[in-house]
Amino acid sequence: MQQKWEVTRPERYVEGKYFASLKAKVIDPGICSHCGTCSVCPVKGIRVEDKPIYFPNWEEECIDCAACVRVCPRYDYVPLNGMGEYIEILAAKSKRFKGQDGAMATEYLVSAIEKGLIDEAIFVGRDEDWRTTVHRVRDADQVNTLLTGTKYSFAAVLPEMIQSVREGNNVGVVGTPCMVSGIRKMQREIRLFAKRVKLVIGLFCTENFYWHQLSAFLAERGIDLRKGIKTDIKKGKFIVEYADGEKAEIPVKEFDPIIPSGCKVCQDFAAVESDVSVGSVGSKAGFSTLIIRQEVAKDLLDFMKEQGTVEVIEEVKMKIVEKLIHHKMEIHPYPPKK
Amino acid sequence: MKKIKAEKLGLTESVKRHLEAIGVVVGEVIVPSTITIHYPRERRKLPDNFRGLILFDSKACISCFRCAHICPANAIVMEHRIAYFPSIDYAKCIFCHFCVDSCPTGALRPTKIHDFVYKDMDEMVVHSEEMVETPEIVREDSFTVEYVFDGDVQLVKKKEKEELVPEVKPPERPPKVAAALNPENCISCRLCVAACPTFAISAKEEKTKIILEINVDRCTACSICNKICPTSTLGLVDR
Repeated sequence: MQQKWEVTRPERYVEGKYFASLKAKVIDPGICSHCGTCSVCPVKGIRVEDKPIYFPNWEEECIDCAACVRVCPRYDYVPLNGMGEYIEILAAKSKRFKGQDGAMATEYLVSAIEKGLIDEAIFVGRDEDWRTTVHRVRDADQVNTLLTGTKYSFAAVLPEMIQSVREGNNVGVVGTPCMVSGIRKMQREIRLFAKRVKLVIGLFCTENFYWHQLSAFLAERGIDLRKGIKTDIKKGKFIVEYADGEKAEIPVKEFDPIIPSGCKVCQDFAAVESDVSVGSVGSKAGFSTLIIRQEVAKDLLDFMKEQGTVEVIEEVKMKIVEKLIHHKMEIHPYPPKK
Repeated sequence: MKKIKAEKLGLTESVKRHLEAIGVVVGEVIVPSTITIHYPRERRKLPDNFRGLILFDSKACISCFRCAHICPANAIVMEHRIAYFPSIDYAKCIFCHFCVDSCPTGALRPTKIHDFVYKDMDEMVVHSEEMVETPEIVREDSFTVEYVFDGDVQLVKKKEKEELVPEVKPPERPPKVAAALNPENCISCRLCVAACPTFAISAKEEKTKIILEINVDRCTACSICNKICPTSTLGLVDR
């Protein structure tokens, strides 16, 4: 019987409620990555939408619990970078799903459900305007109703994941490196999440955008995303592929004005804290590169091989992956150059 | 077709039968064999768990919402007073007394009051503070009548007034108490402190530390803290 317990909280950065500290140290200086981990907020005040993180009326409604500053990966920010530790690097392709490349993120989550590791997987889909939508998936059929593939816009994955965990589910999730870091910090601080978040898939990521800025930016250049079926970044170019096979290309350098400031201080390309990192770079067309970091991800790949749902090849061009890892470290110095 | 004619009786037989009939009538006048109860001068004896008007004890209520949840007619709405207390809409109430049965602390009590009227629909929504006092009852009865089923139905009348608000023993509380099952999940949001209806959970702030404590004597094992906790920190354990 434990009737007395205590919780240690970080120091306040500024006077006032803890959200003031989060605001002053992370949001206002522009180093917030928009990962959404702070949506652990017990009064559900912190909003993760298509604009910087905010908490309407926080002066009144914040209950000063410090959960947001405890889980925020940028509150005591030390940039992660490099390749990270790993067990093996492979390229693979799902035989049953269609995705950006080899659809391995989808395959991983669905296999985790089928293996019984997780109850629910958090998926990101999109609407016809390419706004991201977040879905909870419990079986393979549900995935086929979603529009998979890379969207290059922030998605409110973590609020949904946190809700699912609170409802008692074991979950699997796929996210950008900042989201992976957020989940890991949350798992270190709050044991509930260490117990229930069973699979964390990281994506290779250089930058991500606010949907309203990205769509306006593309519209200015005469690109109608509604007609697009796929977006990709290859060889320094942002490519929108249309249904009729036509392609529109814009050099990535032109995106500079709309890159969120939080991305500009991030050096983690390969999601070093994930269970497995997935990306297109380094493997041939139609395959995903996998950096398997934890046993759980290795066991799942073995399960997929047994089920015959994946095709695995060894061939990965490590040099390109390393090049991009270093590229991200160079273009995103921390502390940022003034 | 067969015609039925009155039976031809002799004079003696006819007189005898008339006297017999008069005898039955006189008997009914003196001791009637009807089973009608002469309400309101008489009242039927009712069991202690009769499902009549419901009374409420705000001190016993722990705002667990069970009555509101279980009500099949959606007649109960929890309203904020000192804590959340039930109101009953008697326009909806079907007198099933599921609310009374579900109340873990006996805060809702049954009465034998079944004869009450309201002037309009608004008045039929009875708020918690209106349920505390037993309403004033105008009683004209001096007899209590009981049906006795012994082969035939018989009425047993007694010259006594029955108590309409019976003493009801509150149900026993489960031998449980709230505890921090997973203190390492706690995010010190203190929603439990705010939600506990008996103020059993306290939080002390010492610099960056928050110390939380459950007062075992006050805890009624209602498990509201358990339900409101966003990180599954709290639960119930045996006392």
